[in-house]
Amino acid sequence: MTLTVRERADTLGTLRYASVHAMETLAAWVPTTPDLEAKILFGRHIWEFAQHADQLGRRTHELRAALHYTPAPTPAYDGALALLRSTAGARERISAFHDVFLADLADKYADYLAATDAFLDEPSVRVVERITADLRRMTADAAEARAQRPALTGSGVATAAALAAALAAARPWVRHRAPAAGIAEATA
Amino acid sequence: MNRATRHEAPPKVVRGVALHGDPAREPCFTIVNTDAEMMDWPDMSDESRRERLHRHMNNECVAMEIAAQSLVDFPEAPWDLRLAIARQAADESRHVAVLLRRFRQLGGEVGAYPVSNYEWNLCAMIGDLPGRLAIENRTFEAGLIDILGQLRTTWRAAGDHETADALEAILADEITHVRFANRWIKALTERDPRVLLHVAQAIRFLRAVNQALAGTPGEVNAAGTVLTEGRLAPPAVYVDGRLEAGFTEEEVHEVLRQAGFRSILPGTLA
Repeated sequence: MTLTVRERADTLGTLRYASVHAMETLAAWVPTTPDLEAKILFGRHIWEFAQHADQLGRRTHELRAALHYTPAPTPAYDGALALLRSTAGARERISAFHDVFLADLADKYADYLAATDAFLDEPSVRVVERITADLRRMTADAAEARAQRPALTGSGVATAAALAAALAAARPWVRHRAPAAGIAEATA
Repeated sequence: MNRATRHEAPPKVVRGVALHGDPAREPCFTIVNTDAEMMDWPDMSDESRRERLHRHMNNECVAMEIAAQSLVDFPEAPWDLRLAIARQAADESRHVAVLLRRFRQLGGEVGAYPVSNYEWNLCAMIGDLPGRLAIENRTFEAGLIDILGQLRTTWRAAGDHETADALEAILADEITHVRFANRWIKALTERDPRVLLHVAQAIRFLRAVNQALAGTPGEVNAAGTVLTEGRLAPPAVYVDGRLEAGFTEEEVHEVLRQAGFRSILPGTLA
């Protein structure tokens, strides 16, 4: 059983929510992180997430939801995102964002690809494939920043572990709308 | 969505003017507030080149921080405008990276020269997006178009083509940043004419701060350079760059008038 059109829109819209949240988190960290290499890393990635949000938001409209449809996730996932944003310290922020959050997000996109019909939902698949390639590049960017500035490596273990646990516990993470009453929804 | 809060930093008062507290900087940086406290030299010596790159790098960092903070402060802004601001933040981040790399290639050590976060201190005080765009993008970044129009030839004439090439690339990006601000201020004003009041208020604030902090001819800066009227004057107006950035011919005329018609590229306007 593949995802319905509505479920696709809900999932991609929630991924848009996560992308906007990531963009704003990095934006909030730029002026509040002293380390130059970390600032540069965060600044570069702001636009990556803005583009993801844009592409996802256009696709949700094609899936019969609003343009830039951005439904809130489940409270557990929202709480995990809030925990991410509250992270302090350059090392801790890179660890939480680039090691933990990005890995979880990549898993969510992989789950979407596994759940949807690759042919019927091909436009979404293309968007998701481009995004996952970006996520891999962002992880590599973080490794490069750490190579330039070894002080940005390590630490943040407790913060990262707490975030990983919060993300793992946040299942389900999408709040699906109920199907419209009296209308049998097709899966295509 | 659980949103980030406004940037919290102790406010600072400089020459009687209340400004926003500084963005986070590493302890190696010395933060100053006036031209006289800066170190810069009129020549293109090795020391002067390093200081110029260091100052420019911090200014780009500030521009990145202002753009980033605008994404935090104005979540209800139209999405396409937020997208443009996010792009600007990423562009400024690349500028910081490229200037940092060049600075280090020339033997520079981060924190070796004082820096000022003036644009942040001022812009973070402005509580509406059109006002902030009017000051950061349409005034400061437009001023940078003028400065870069001149500097790229200064560096090339000094034989430093690598830095000149970097400045050419930065100039192209800055023109884009000014252009989107010009377009959006116009669009937002058409939707709601009261936007112009916010813009005017921001410009008044800028003038008041400039008046309070401006250098005085005869002052000597931290490098021992005398601040002459020539050094304190606005840069020559890069007419073509400003037109490309969406300023009207009338607006460029006004800037030229204020700058004493010191156009380096007269074109059809001067």
